[in-house]
Amino acid sequence: MNFKKWLVYLGVFSVLLGTVLTGCSNGASSSNDDSGDSSEEVTLQMSGWGSTPIEEELLNETLAAFEEEHPNINVEFDVIADQYMDVLKTRLIGGQAADVFFLDALEAPALMSKGVLEPLDKYVTDEFDIEDFQDPLLNAFKHDGKYYGFPKDFSTLALFYNEKAFKEAGLEGPPESWKELREYAEKLTVDKNGDGDPEQYGLGISKELARQFFKLKPYGAQLTNEEGKATFATDSAVQALTPLVEMYQDDKTAALPSDVGADWGGDMLGTGKAAMVVEGNWTIPFLENNFKDLNYNTAQLPTLNGKKATAAFTVAYVMNKQSEKKEAAWELISFLTGKEGMKIWTSKGLALPTRESVAKELGFADSKLRAPFVEGASYAQPWQAGKHLPIIMNNFNNQFISALLGEQSLKEALEQAQKTANDEIEASN
Amino acid sequence: MEPARKPTHSKEQRVTPPERKHAKKIKKPAFSKKLKESFSGYLFMSPTIFTIGVFIVIPIIYALFLSFNDVQLLGGTSYQFVGLENYTRFADDKRAIIALKNTAEYVLIVVPIQTFLALLLAAALNSNIKGKNIFRIIFFLPTVTSSAVLTLIFMWMYYPDGLINQFLSFLHLPTYDWLSNPEIALKSIMIMNIWATAPFFMVIYLAAMQDISDSIYEAATIDGANWWQKFIFITVPILKPVTFFVVVMGVIGTFQLFDQSYIFSGGSGGPNNSTLTIVLLIYQYAFRSLDMGYASALAVALAVLIMVVTIIQKKFFGEEKLHD
Repeated sequence: MNFKKWLVYLGVFSVLLGTVLTGCSNGASSSNDDSGDSSEEVTLQMSGWGSTPIEEELLNETLAAFEEEHPNINVEFDVIADQYMDVLKTRLIGGQAADVFFLDALEAPALMSKGVLEPLDKYVTDEFDIEDFQDPLLNAFKHDGKYYGFPKDFSTLALFYNEKAFKEAGLEGPPESWKELREYAEKLTVDKNGDGDPEQYGLGISKELARQFFKLKPYGAQLTNEEGKATFATDSAVQALTPLVEMYQDDKTAALPSDVGADWGGDMLGTGKAAMVVEGNWTIPFLENNFKDLNYNTAQLPTLNGKKATAAFTVAYVMNKQSEKKEAAWELISFLTGKEGMKIWTSKGLALPTRESVAKELGFADSKLRAPFVEGASYAQPWQAGKHLPIIMNNFNNQFISALLGEQSLKEALEQAQKTANDEIEASN
Repeated sequence: MEPARKPTHSKEQRVTPPERKHAKKIKKPAFSKKLKESFSGYLFMSPTIFTIGVFIVIPIIYALFLSFNDVQLLGGTSYQFVGLENYTRFADDKRAIIALKNTAEYVLIVVPIQTFLALLLAAALNSNIKGKNIFRIIFFLPTVTSSAVLTLIFMWMYYPDGLINQFLSFLHLPTYDWLSNPEIALKSIMIMNIWATAPFFMVIYLAAMQDISDSIYEAATIDGANWWQKFIFITVPILKPVTFFVVVMGVIGTFQLFDQSYIFSGGSGGPNNSTLTIVLLIYQYAFRSLDMGYASALAVALAVLIMVVTIIQKKFFGEEKLHD
């Protein structure tokens, strides 16, 4: 009995001691600057989201090249695994954010207008060559005439298709228009055992606004107005999105990844659950690594209403306004978005270079699989629409899925999403 | 404590009556002794008081303060007193109404089922079946597992070609899209939560059942009561105070549903707001929109709601004490 009691005390004591000790070691490591005798050593903190091992390796390679060039600057890369923006904003408020961090174009307007980012204009030199960036991508991080970040890379959407499935269906070459794509999808949907549950769907789709918004413009519809409020509940928007809903509901030639037990489009194509998917260039290395034998090709997205359209996703490096090591932070940003750093980072084609000179040098425009993505850049619409886009996106995604499932008409869903989003935006102002 | 103190006190009084001045003199040490005693009491409690103060009391007061302000956090913190504006905002907030509806539905379905299931399981394990100790352990396992892990495992099972659908189609029953069908998603969470929390309350019931004296059952047996009658007329009424506790804890727990729906929907409350609960909405306003004032007002409203529901339950169950 006594011994048991003693054990309990020991347990409690060791737990308490453990907490105290870990508390101490945390404090110690954060103040551990290793300031040696050599000229002012600086340790920079950089935050980003986690990604694939290949990407991580490339980033480490790029950072190693930077540290070699700047021996007095150490870079600590810290991965925020989940809910990146929530964590980042909380850290910014608490004054604990990293010196340099990733920022998606979608979230950029809100942060730029809050004044938590350091304007970078005064650091820019001629050597940095700002003209070299592709304009739409550069402008995604411009606010009130100032640059708050420089795009590190971008991705566009293109059509991935399974060549073997095309051959089996007697199809040649990718569809030119969405109308044609719909006919293709019908031929590509295979239900061998006839249980109404096809083994191969024609098109793998995704329900997010990020993958749908670019369809609005060719039909003359607009996602948001100048104030950043949602304006997509129009007939032209319904017209733009109807084909997808019909393919899903009536034709049953399209499927969501969750319908077939896949995580995303690349997975659907790789496992043969879909013969076509609309995905970004990040899918190429994924397929190369996981589905080596897959016989696939890429093409520019089919035209909508006779017009070419695709989406561009871009991410920039930005500087924390509260950073105490701004000079070093700029060194890092200018290297990573400069010609040398970008060349290393984009060398494997996971993401495409935002600098025209680098794109030319790496020759992605001549690569069979990557050319459609590069060509798409000239007409792509950046995934950005005012500072309330996250709210709009959340509401659209919530309603669009119920329209896809047939619980309400597309028109109703869009109206509902627009109203809820705008109410929320108004209340938050 | 008290019985030990009483005799000394009365002793002092017995000594003092003759002179009043003396009484004063002697009272003093008694007072300082009391002070000393309460001081040492507070000293012992100080770690708890400190922790509760810093992590519970101050945040509560601060949340109340925030709920009357328009709070700007990003890019310079500022508070602006807005009176009840945050509270009147509920009426126009569609998502708040949806969240309230979802949460109410969740409470109304989950609490009765999990209470009933817990009672049933406890009754089964209280009887003398073979290997009941092993069953007790097995039943209790879900409660010990972290809810995040449970949710992830259930999500795998809920996938369109996951375990549950495979099982259903094996039995030629209709399969469902458990995760992304707005009609079903909340029910998927309900099933999971009932499965995970019923055993916890089962243990509470079980402990209370083992306290019921055998003599009552023996008397009932002599009177000719069968198993069912004994359960309904003896066990259930005696367990009433425990049921009160189980229901109150169940209601509080289900009103605060957050982690499961957060993981299920990736923080969005989707599909089509069907898994949006009040606490998830508070999280979204607080950390996604950084609207601390409104989020605090929602939190205060939730606290008031839970208190009201608890008081109603207390009236419903009568003024019975938990320890008898």
